[in-house]
Amino acid sequence: MPLLGDDRRNPEIRRYPILAYALVPLAALVLQAWLPRVLGRFAWFDLPLVVTVYFALDRRSPIQGTLMGAAMGLFEDALSHHAIGINGVAKTVAGFLAASIGVRVDVENHTIRLVLNFLLSLLSSGIVVFVSRFLLGLDLEWRWYTSIYAAIGNSLIAVVLFPLLDRLQIRE
Amino acid sequence: MESFFVRYRNLVVLLAILLAQIIGLAVQVRRTSEGRSTLDPSDGPGVRLIRLWAQGVVTPPEMIIHASKTGSRGLWQNYLDLRSVRQQNQELQKTIDRLRLEQAALLEDARQGQRLQALANFQQKYIYQTVAAQAIGSSGSEQSHVFYIDKGSAEGLNRDDAVITADGIVGKVRDVFPHTAQVLAVNDQTSGAGVILETTRTRGILRGNAAGQLEIVDILADKRIQKGEIVLTAGGDQIFPRGLPVGVVENVVPDPERDSFIDVIVTPAAHLDRLDEVLVVTSTQPRFSPEQQQDLATSEALKGSEAAAIKEQKKASEIMAERLPGLVDPNLPPDQQPLHDSSNPTPVAHPPQALHPDRFTPGNAPDAASEATPEALPHAKAPAVPDSVTQPKPKTPVVKPSGTPSTTVGKPTSKPAQPKQTGPQTGKPPTNQPQKAQPGGNT
Repeated sequence: MPLLGDDRRNPEIRRYPILAYALVPLAALVLQAWLPRVLGRFAWFDLPLVVTVYFALDRRSPIQGTLMGAAMGLFEDALSHHAIGINGVAKTVAGFLAASIGVRVDVENHTIRLVLNFLLSLLSSGIVVFVSRFLLGLDLEWRWYTSIYAAIGNSLIAVVLFPLLDRLQIRE
Repeated sequence: MESFFVRYRNLVVLLAILLAQIIGLAVQVRRTSEGRSTLDPSDGPGVRLIRLWAQGVVTPPEMIIHASKTGSRGLWQNYLDLRSVRQQNQELQKTIDRLRLEQAALLEDARQGQRLQALANFQQKYIYQTVAAQAIGSSGSEQSHVFYIDKGSAEGLNRDDAVITADGIVGKVRDVFPHTAQVLAVNDQTSGAGVILETTRTRGILRGNAAGQLEIVDILADKRIQKGEIVLTAGGDQIFPRGLPVGVVENVVPDPERDSFIDVIVTPAAHLDRLDEVLVVTSTQPRFSPEQQQDLATSEALKGSEAAAIKEQKKASEIMAERLPGLVDPNLPPDQQPLHDSSNPTPVAHPPQALHPDRFTPGNAPDAASEATPEALPHAKAPAVPDSVTQPKPKTPVVKPSGTPSTTVGKPTSKPAQPKQTGPQTGKPPTNQPQKAQPGGNT
């Protein structure tokens, strides 16, 4: 299976029920807020980012990916006590890049999904640190290995979750 | 121009959204007097509205999950209990070993009950007013150690209320919504609490580090601080009451930024990662138990009765002071003096009338010249009155109208049992014996 998509064919734009667009991100946000209570410090994942990457990859629309990333990030920020917009910026960029890459690669490939989620998770963490420390000048301590753990967790979750979400798409 | 926006609309949208968010971030950050950037602790109206919306969207599903988890756990436990009871009934009939299994199961339940009972007892003994709450969700971010509880302003919670458990402090209420509240845990990097080490009495500021550990900062290097020392709240931060357990010293490391300072890593007393039930200190006004309140009321009543008794005594003494000068009124004739009043229960004794006038009788006193002559002396030596009159008589009980036996000294009476008449009498001065007041008389 080729890793890169065929430029000559039109990339397939997947469609989902309206409820899926509403409930899946909401479920991701709720679980992201609830699971750390169960798992404690071992909650090394970012479900809103995984869902953002999934929809951005499959919709292949940078604008939609951007908007979805911004909405998910702002929502996450609103639940925390940090400034609203830090995660928003990070996930906006992640959504845009995921959608832009989704036009050019085969998003069905599990390796692509795993690597993309890993890299975008690291990028998202990096943007959070960059915005907090350098753009806003806040005293935010950061440990690089927790970002690695989160990126690995996101990749593994994506490998399991993406096929499940694929079942929601509308097939013509 | 139009073609530029059409061609690069993806980038334009991306940049517009990023720019809007960065402007929003810049509004929320302010610069302190020390030149450091920090977040405004009190959110602006717009930011608070966004948080309220987000919290309003996420909290109901979280509450449903929490309730369903509790319900399903109860159902599952009931099912398991039924199964285990059935099995135990069969096994108890066979071997005594099964009894031990049942005992172990009951012991586990008892431990769970003891844990809940300990929390309830702590709340009852705690002198401040508290509200019990359940933790229902978290921020979901590793950098933000906040969690949500199922009580809000409707239950009396306020911003900056301390959140504790029976084990130790947990955090403080950061934001309050109608039926939920956001709690900033003590292990967050932005939290702060004044603490004191129990043995060395060293004070410091407790905060969280990047790993989610508790650490006490701003402490000068001190070799006396040892592992295992207990850390308590100092009470100076106006949030946590003084003396609550915080944790124990886990490690002492040098401050990487300042040479002479150290950081004390603290193991929290409360299980910050697995919080279920917490107590929110809603008021630092003392809350007393019913027994304590009864003791206080009794003490107040006693104090009031003592004051009333003192006031009554003062009033009585004032009345006496007013009346004493009036016992003998110089403007009234003797027979109209207040003491002549037959209603006076303590009549004044008068000397008896002499049978024969003598030189002691008023008006018969000899002059000084006759008293000085020797002839006058034998006359003077003659007895003036019979002994039976002048000599005091033995005390004779007198029955008063009230029936109370009394004693008096004076002229013998032929009817000692008769009620004592008022008027001139012999004998001793008025006694302090209680006297029954005569109707219409002065007391």
